[in-house]
Amino acid sequence: MKPFFKKFIQFYLKLYTKIILWRFRPFVIAVAGSTNKTPVKDYSLKFLREKYGADDVRGNPRSYNTEIGLPLAILYLDSGESSFWKWLEVLVQAKMKALFSSNFPKKLVLELGVGKEGDMRYLLGMVHPDWAVVTNIEGSYSDAESNLDELQEEMKVLAKSLPAKGRIFLNFDDGRVRSLAKNTKAEVVGYGFSEDATAKISNLKTTVEGQTFDFEFRGKKEPVEIKKYGRHNVYAWVIAKIVKESL
Amino acid sequence: MADNISLSPIKDMELRASRIPGVVSLAQGVPSFDTPETIKQAAIRAIERGKVAKYSLAPGLLELREVITQKLEEENKFYDFEEEVIVTAGSIEAITATMLTILSPGDEVLVPDPTYTSYQPAIKVAGGVPVFVPLDEKNHWSFDIAELEKRITPKTKALLFCNPNNPTGTIFTRNQLHAVAQMAIKHDFYILSDEVYKDFIFDGFDEGSTFGNRKVEPSRSGLYSLAEMRGIRDRLVYIFSFSKAYAMTGWRIAYLATHHELAKKILGTHDVLVTCAPVVSQYAALGALEMAEKDLAGYHRIYKARRDLICERLDKLAHVFEYQKPDSAYFVFPKIKKEILDKMPNISNSKDFAIELLEKAHVATVPGNAFGPSGENHIRMCFGRSEEDINEAFDRLEKYFKVFL
Repeated sequence: MKPFFKKFIQFYLKLYTKIILWRFRPFVIAVAGSTNKTPVKDYSLKFLREKYGADDVRGNPRSYNTEIGLPLAILYLDSGESSFWKWLEVLVQAKMKALFSSNFPKKLVLELGVGKEGDMRYLLGMVHPDWAVVTNIEGSYSDAESNLDELQEEMKVLAKSLPAKGRIFLNFDDGRVRSLAKNTKAEVVGYGFSEDATAKISNLKTTVEGQTFDFEFRGKKEPVEIKKYGRHNVYAWVIAKIVKESL
Repeated sequence: MADNISLSPIKDMELRASRIPGVVSLAQGVPSFDTPETIKQAAIRAIERGKVAKYSLAPGLLELREVITQKLEEENKFYDFEEEVIVTAGSIEAITATMLTILSPGDEVLVPDPTYTSYQPAIKVAGGVPVFVPLDEKNHWSFDIAELEKRITPKTKALLFCNPNNPTGTIFTRNQLHAVAQMAIKHDFYILSDEVYKDFIFDGFDEGSTFGNRKVEPSRSGLYSLAEMRGIRDRLVYIFSFSKAYAMTGWRIAYLATHHELAKKILGTHDVLVTCAPVVSQYAALGALEMAEKDLAGYHRIYKARRDLICERLDKLAHVFEYQKPDSAYFVFPKIKKEILDKMPNISNSKDFAIELLEKAHVATVPGNAFGPSGENHIRMCFGRSEEDINEAFDRLEKYFKVFL
């Protein structure tokens, strides 16, 4: 896609997204971090749909979470890929939805994909999350300091943007994420294996069928079994559970 | 050690072919397409953003490994992207790193016969001994479990196989795979399942099965994989390459997924061999998984049409070849009829036959014995090449074999 055309699409998609969000004012839960955004979103959608019904809750289809992907996700439209004509069609559909649609979900769980400085500010120019989840701040490169501070700055922008009556769910096992608690007016809910986490995970075991662990939240402890492997799936389940119970 | 490792017969045929002008090659298994634009753009964006100059973590970019496991989940395969996935420099690096990790000198590795030629040298590089297990040609080149068990010894350390199989295009059934898994548990060996052609299933294959009263649903991908069987995840190494599915042979990018304890050991070897897979190729692979679904579907349609074309053309050479229609991959493995070989007194094996076709008909194929003893008297033809190439190659073959009518 040519840079000028991309800017043009970005501008109009952002405009129509702001209109539709202004018209329907859904409750927005943002999910950000280096990885684990999609499992968190998927578990959250599953749990929230159990509570509120499928029509009332929506998330990003696939992983549409960038400057063009996020508005497409909110407007619930597919990408025009590399076709000029398809993009024009997308823009027409976006305009129709923004101005004339009569239905829109009451809750959105949205992944926010951040690759470089300024991305978060751009995305927050479109959506104003009520709640936010930060999964982790990790690098993909062998040098330990590789752009993690930059990514942390982006997450600070998200934390600062939340309203005082908002809530931020922070991974207390990740030092960089945990420190975001200092950068927000919103209520902080820490989750993880740390002793001081509000939503605490303990006794994690891997079995042939998946993983088992104990989950403790608001004074209630329960054993959990999930059919997936890896700590990230445990975190994703826990976040979804506390989001569901808190909402 | 280097004395018993030589250039792959496939590459040897390509080399011979390159010396003869105007040859049409159906030898090497290379797609006729360029890498899809979306994938190239993903790589270009990563370069422009300065993301490819440094080593990635040894197992690969976190975001790529995460997307890999998300895609695997769609196929009912569950892995932890942080500890159980390693992005490698092609599937042969995944295989070699695994072999170097699990084998001690003299350990035996079972390989189906016929199977992909490069498995043998990968085993030998690690000091192992390849042991051929003949497939049952009469039953569409299926596993013969009795033959497999006969070849298991105290030195057997692994089974390395390709599903769907190269060169036969066979898809091993769920029941056969379960029997193989039971053998692995009983005799305590690893299984390496190389599923590079998993996206080329031409006729919806896996129809499920029953265990006692329980009905087992068909596999989501159409191909049942041992990676869906949780009970053997501690002894299974699942391997996938982007080379064939996404026309990315030159990018050298693949991955393996296995239980975290084994993955940790293989990661050490992988680090010694390549440090990390090429980072630009990792971003291209990410683009492939996120954005090239439509390209993949397009290739699938084209390969199916080419499979049908090459079978039609082989039907016209029924006096020369008999063959089994491949279910998958992009190879057909016809058998040379005895009557034809009898009429060619200077030809004593499939290598001579393939060289004869190359030199006289100017068509490059791969001799069947390169894939194992059971491949003798066969040749492998690749329909990854364009329809134009397939038609031209068969026009030449028909002309050459006219004299034998």
